Amino acid sequence: MIETVTKKYDSIDNTFCSYRVTYVNSNRVKSVPLDPANTDYQAIQEWIAEGNTVIDNPPQENN
Amino acid sequence: MAKLIGNAPNQVPTNADLGSMAFEDRTNYITKGASVHQPYRNIIINGDMSIAQRGTSFSGINSGSTNFGVDRFNFEVSSLGAWTISQDTDVPTGQGFAKSLKLDCTTADASPGANDLAVLTHNIEGQNLQYLKKGTANAESVTASFWVKSNKTGTYIAELKDVDNNRTINKSYTINSSNTWEKKTIIYDGDTTGTLDNDNGKSFQLNLWLGGGSGWTSGTLQTSWGSSTQANRQVGQVNLADSTSNYINITGVQLEAGTTASDFEFLPVDVNLQRCQRYYQVLADGSQQTLSMIGLGFYYSAVLMIMAIQYYTEMRATPSLDNVSGTNYYRIFANGTNDYFDDFFLTSTNTTNKVCDLRNESDISGATGNIGFVRTENAASFVAFDAEL
Repeated sequence: MIETVTKKYDSIDNTFCSYRVTYVNSNRVKSVPLDPANTDYQAIQEWIAEGNTVIDNPPQENN
Repeated sequence: MAKLIGNAPNQVPTNADLGSMAFEDRTNYITKGASVHQPYRNIIINGDMSIAQRGTSFSGINSGSTNFGVDRFNFEVSSLGAWTISQDTDVPTGQGFAKSLKLDCTTADASPGANDLAVLTHNIEGQNLQYLKKGTANAESVTASFWVKSNKTGTYIAELKDVDNNRTINKSYTINSSNTWEKKTIIYDGDTTGTLDNDNGKSFQLNLWLGGGSGWTSGTLQTSWGSSTQANRQVGQVNLADSTSNYINITGVQLEAGTTASDFEFLPVDVNLQRCQRYYQVLADGSQQTLSMIGLGFYYSAVLMIMAIQYYTEMRATPSLDNVSGTNYYRIFANGTNDYFDDFFLTSTNTTNKVCDLRNESDISGATGNIGFVRTENAASFVAFDAEL
């Protein structure tokens, strides 16, 4: 069962590059690509549709 | 002896020339197209339960749809007891099997809620099933066969589901004797409605039901193909979760075109493993080897380590990285120094169904450009790729 979903940003170009997923009572983590054919990606979309919130801390712009 | 040439250089021998040689008894010859000898006739992958890449025993399973005791067989449970799922050595005697999948009820639920369920599922890509000609007038019948053993006798339901068109056909079988291996064969008609997508998505399922609430059992068992109706899918099914004494072992699962169950198709272990690796493959497992090698990595910057990975075999789709995270579970040894880190992540930009890059940037500290060995550092360290259906 999904516990948390966090957006991961590529530190090279600051683009949103994958989801980091943690699970209840588990030290297993998944790094999930942004691919609709990936079943973990599908599970995340269902989890979001159920009203859960993705943690999103985008990198700060360097101006 | 009959002549083996004709009467002239441009003539072929006649039956008279060949004599009795033209009338050999072919009773025991292999007939072209006979399913019993067709390779890869088994639609099911890992039907002998011999491959278990994720591990061989998992306890406390009480929810979720991605519980794999062995590769490709997905145990889904929703609020119907708790289970230990394991790869087991209990097998039918003299049939050639070495492993079975065991589902052992460890927390009972004798009064399931309406929508509670437990089911063992095998998902199949549509592009592998086009020869069934589903959705046409020439749709093939399909036959399922498997060995099963349980303490709990009674009626069980084996279902085929067309996921693309949300259609099902459900057949019952009976476990007659407790604690005894029995072979079951179930024939399903071809379905002339609903074509399967010719792609790498989940199009078709074999579902071996193990229990469900009234929402699954209150209708009439749908023994012909039709639109899937929840109440018609498990009618008559016993509740395997009603006692902690209950278990079921399954092996030798085969699904094939036609109306006959042929002998189980055993594949060499390397072939079986590679077929499983299309859906899941383990890159490193700390429990199998101390300091298990993962590969070469380099410092893209002082705080970003990148590894380039090519999978053992092309995967079904872009995989997820399945990773166990823990303090200092991994390390890179570069320029004479160990640098420890907790886990990896991947990026969509550089990840396909053939290759990916693995990165760490949360714990790393090294010199830009340095290259080093990346290894596991803990028995619980684990790195795998998951493209299951």
